[in-house]
Amino acid sequence: MRRRIGLGRALTWAAALALAGLGFVALAAWSGIYNVAASRGHWLVTDRLLRFGMENSVETHASAIAAPKLDDPDLVRLGAGHFLTGCASCHGAPGTPTDVVAQHMLPPPPDLKERLSQWTDPELFWIVKNGIKYTGMPAWPTQERDDEVWTIVAFLRLLPSLEADGYRALAWGDVSDGPRAGAEIALAGGGAGAVAACARCHGSEGKAPTSALVPRLHGQPAEMLLQALRDFAEGERHSGIMQPVAAALTERAAIDVAAYYAGLAPLPVRADAPAETGRALATAGNAGIPACQSCHDRDALSIYPRLAGQNAPYIAARLHAMQQAQRARTPTQDIMIPIARRLTDRQIADLAAYFASLPP
Amino acid sequence: MSAQSVLSPMGPDAARIADLATILFVGAAVVFTIVAASLWLAIRGPSSIRRALAENRFVAAAGIGFPVVTLSLLLAYGLWVMRSANGPADASNAVRIGIVGEQWWWRVSYRGAEGQRIESANEIRIPVGREVVFILTSTDVIHSFWVPNLGGKVDMIPGRTNTLRLRADRAGVYRGQCAEYCGGAHALMALEVVALPEAEFEAWLLAEADEAKAPADDAAWHGQRLFLAGGCGSCHAVRGTTAVGMVGPDLTHVGSRRSIAAATLPTSRQNIARFIVDGQHLKPGNGMPPFRIFAPAEVDALAAYLAGLE
Repeated sequence: MRRRIGLGRALTWAAALALAGLGFVALAAWSGIYNVAASRGHWLVTDRLLRFGMENSVETHASAIAAPKLDDPDLVRLGAGHFLTGCASCHGAPGTPTDVVAQHMLPPPPDLKERLSQWTDPELFWIVKNGIKYTGMPAWPTQERDDEVWTIVAFLRLLPSLEADGYRALAWGDVSDGPRAGAEIALAGGGAGAVAACARCHGSEGKAPTSALVPRLHGQPAEMLLQALRDFAEGERHSGIMQPVAAALTERAAIDVAAYYAGLAPLPVRADAPAETGRALATAGNAGIPACQSCHDRDALSIYPRLAGQNAPYIAARLHAMQQAQRARTPTQDIMIPIARRLTDRQIADLAAYFASLPP
Repeated sequence: MSAQSVLSPMGPDAARIADLATILFVGAAVVFTIVAASLWLAIRGPSSIRRALAENRFVAAAGIGFPVVTLSLLLAYGLWVMRSANGPADASNAVRIGIVGEQWWWRVSYRGAEGQRIESANEIRIPVGREVVFILTSTDVIHSFWVPNLGGKVDMIPGRTNTLRLRADRAGVYRGQCAEYCGGAHALMALEVVALPEAEFEAWLLAEADEAKAPADDAAWHGQRLFLAGGCGSCHAVRGTTAVGMVGPDLTHVGSRRSIAAATLPTSRQNIARFIVDGQHLKPGNGMPPFRIFAPAEVDALAAYLAGLE
């Protein structure tokens, strides 16, 4: 009997203490006495505690992720191209210091060269995909494109060994960001404008994309290109790489750039003869899969892409992404996603090889 | 007359099944009445009758002898009924029609005068008074072919060919449907059998063997161009054009069929247009994706083209 009273009293005290604690927290928040200034930094103990919690959280959440093979130049080049668009302004890059504004964030974005070795591939993947709460690190714009996130990880693995020249070649391709005349810089801005240049990844007249994971846009129908830009910009077509770029374009600029690529001569294919294994499926289909060429050859509607001469890794990656998409969002995805889901990995590889070797 | 009922048989096979059903129902009613009366007498009847009911001789005669004789006769009769429906196709002038069950429609093929294969879908035309042999199979899951006014149902099994012999004695339209659950749109996998007088059937088959008609007006021409450039022909065949797809129903003469989407909607320009854009609401889960890529005017042109394919 006495023991029960003792327990009851202890519970009452605990509840009262908890209530008082909550009251104190509410009072502190209400009074504004806590200083949220980024300029002041954290106390050492807060900093240590936050870092400890963050590192353990990343480790735990990344423990079930398996990394694919990452030492592929196509992955690295695409990752480098997007690193310049999405990461370098805060984290800096070889030969480019961190942006001054970004340096005054709390916590300041780390110098990746020093910190990367701390993380495994799956941990880096998890951080890039999900971002980190209470820091400036954003999540990947879509949670449905793990393939894109891995390109960044592939590039990050190479980053610590890169010098300025090597980085330039990877991230800028054939595009130049200077030197320019003083008047031009004064009137149109410095080199930053070229960061948004499509050609860094997609190539230009007579020049192929830097990575085979990036589509060749040369000679594609303008209507299809414009629709793709609109779908990316509105997030209807998932891509953390293309969405920021497309969303930044005005309607006029999107129309013009679509017309530019549509007007370029298609690039020649590298193969001597078409790969034969995918031909039957591509041209005639089978009992469950319609023939690809009905919608993807030269005479088809201009809302459909042409596939002859397209990069094989791009075709394969696109089909795999459609297989994994949770649902169709655009009118063309309505049509293509059910077909992509019926293809086997073998058929995807054969079709990609066939179209890549077919002269446009 | 009802369009889908075992109770209004329109051919000898359905008649036998209806007779069997009548015998079963009437017989069961008689037996039930006797049992109920015996039960009442055993409880409330005069003692002499109750004593007679309790005798071993009565129990043996009514409880063992009667069922053995009745059920044996019924079994023999039932086997005879089944034999005549599923027996070998000996009639040499029988019309042979191939039907393949697909999720969720019927691929129908006839033999033309020169033995050529004439493909159609979702509607079967047969001559009145002539034996028809259906050659039934499936490419995906088990379906079941059942036209109640004409005969019993027969399963369509992947990797196996079943045959069903039927005859319609009166002209008319008889509705049938898939009678084995086969997935999401099973309930909308129906078909119509149109029984025509012999001469009309022969004329129709001749027309059915033809290639598709050329588009009649500008809208239909535009529709045909969209049909071919839009990739419709990778799933649907329209004989006489470059559309040779085998994934979905043959549309060569779709405009002359009474219904679309396996007897889901009556054929009309408006319904075809609705199905192109909104097929997943009209028949959820069907194999055709919604073609939202087409503007309303384009959908109308496509519908004009398809409705004109008579």
